[in-house]
Amino acid sequence: MITIENLTKYYGTNKAVNNISFTIKDNEILGFLGPNGAGKSTTMNMIAGFLPMSDGKVTICGADITKEPVKAKQNLGYLPEIPPVYPDMRVREYLAFCAGLKGIPFTKRSDEIERVSKLLKITDVSSKLIKNLSKGYKQRVGFAQALLGDPKFLILDEPTVGLDPNQVMEVRSIIKDLKKDHSVIFSSHILSEVSAVCDRVIIINKGDIRAIDTIENLEKSYSSSLVLRLKIKGARAKASSIIEMTEGVKEIISIDDEGSEIFAFAVQLEGDAETVQAELMSELLKNNVKILEIYTEKPNLENVFIELINRPAKKTSLSDLIDEIVPDSEKAPAEEPAADEPAAEAEEEKEEN
Amino acid sequence: MFSIYKKELQSFFFTPFAYALIALFMLLFTYTIGALIGDMDSSRLTFSYAEVFYNAILYFIFLIPILTMRTFPDERKFGTEVLLMTSPVSVLKIVIAKFLANATVFLCMLAGSAIFPIITAFKGEVVISQLLCAYLGFFLWGLMYITLGMFISSFTENAIIAAILGELAMFLFLFIDNFSGIAFFSQYPKLQSVLYSFAAQPRFGYFSQGFIRLSDIVFFVSAIIVLLSWTYISIEKRRWKRG
Repeated sequence: MITIENLTKYYGTNKAVNNISFTIKDNEILGFLGPNGAGKSTTMNMIAGFLPMSDGKVTICGADITKEPVKAKQNLGYLPEIPPVYPDMRVREYLAFCAGLKGIPFTKRSDEIERVSKLLKITDVSSKLIKNLSKGYKQRVGFAQALLGDPKFLILDEPTVGLDPNQVMEVRSIIKDLKKDHSVIFSSHILSEVSAVCDRVIIINKGDIRAIDTIENLEKSYSSSLVLRLKIKGARAKASSIIEMTEGVKEIISIDDEGSEIFAFAVQLEGDAETVQAELMSELLKNNVKILEIYTEKPNLENVFIELINRPAKKTSLSDLIDEIVPDSEKAPAEEPAADEPAAEAEEEKEEN
Repeated sequence: MFSIYKKELQSFFFTPFAYALIALFMLLFTYTIGALIGDMDSSRLTFSYAEVFYNAILYFIFLIPILTMRTFPDERKFGTEVLLMTSPVSVLKIVIAKFLANATVFLCMLAGSAIFPIITAFKGEVVISQLLCAYLGFFLWGLMYITLGMFISSFTENAIIAAILGELAMFLFLFIDNFSGIAFFSQYPKLQSVLYSFAAQPRFGYFSQGFIRLSDIVFFVSAIIVLLSWTYISIEKRRWKRG
């Protein structure tokens, strides 16, 4: 198990990672999602022990990464954003070097290299110079390096970047297979990839964790943004008034005129999608509106992601609280007259009495 | 640790780098011997290898920074520093492995230069004890410069800058006893003596005359240890400071 407690990183005065805590359980694939510059790579670098943290603690199998780095790193395979390969080395040479670096006994090295080469399908390039390989192959060599020695935990920073769609599928299935006896932390900004591979997701933005949960739960709990799509023929005004009257409808987002009297409605829902949809359909049919198409967009990780990323962060630290207090005190004088008004009204009432 | 040492050696010997460097050293060394033999005339009929080494130390200023300039900058350039730092090998071991690899190339340079005394021994007479002492001094001086070069290369991501700064530092270090002799420093005898105690040239002088003094060995060895630990500290500091 990897435990991350109150991990914080400052770059100068800029806070890149803000007091984040989570755990990675055994045999789990944890997705790390966030826009560019969210602090994904910084966090991963800290967990892997490359970057020292400004504050907090990372424990890998009970070993603190700052206090017992060698012990902690023995259980770790790391593929950074840029594959850490030596351009002047041959693939096999490079893997042999990495195997030595990880302390794999000499007699087991060639078997181990054989195993990871087969797994990542780099056997046929094993005698090539790394600088002559394509980006996808370099990425795979870097991945092979992380798998050497069969470490319990794997940290993969955007492992599928630069791969062709076929290779992406292969790498994803490798990651899924690894789950049997490994834990994987895996960052990406490709949402479909994360939802295809991961058990749990951490959504991070500007150094703050916005959510940690399974994908299903995230999609359920952030389904407020359900949108119903409706296509009708003619009777635009009638249809829109019916839609607005129906219970569970929040608002009509847009009405597109698609020509030959066909109108496409996008409707924001509040209530349970199925009931609203059924009711709306029967209302429209009662009023002789011709429905061409009706469906509710399924909640997806994309919507959840966008919603979470754009939501302001929770205030946790003292400085955030101070930030919150300062504008309030500035607002205070403006609010005072408003507070006086009821009192003035009360006085007027007294006079009237 | 051994795998890093091996990898470093591969990067020297599987490329033309080490061969070119050793060849350049041999060229300069041979030239010095030729020039010294050519200088002999009826008034001066002595020739000593110690004198050749004295001259060869000057070439260190150019050769050693070239040897050490890539030690750390290359790891940073290729992003492989991450690999080393996240592997279960301590930073100190990384530094020592790299030092040993550089020292091995340097030893090859020395071994190449041994051809001349061997040939001389066949045809004439070589004072072996003095020669070995001179070699010891030469070797220690080289190791000290290697650690200095590594220390400087740990500051930067650019190998060329590491080489230029290394040359500058080694130049200053070589002539420290000359600097301590200038009029400005002779005004302050205490400062002058402190500065002079850092001078390596007079210490090398003893070696080349066939003296092995404990204080000289301690001087060189402690300089090597101090510079290696500074290199270690500098790498750790860089990690902590990053960003």
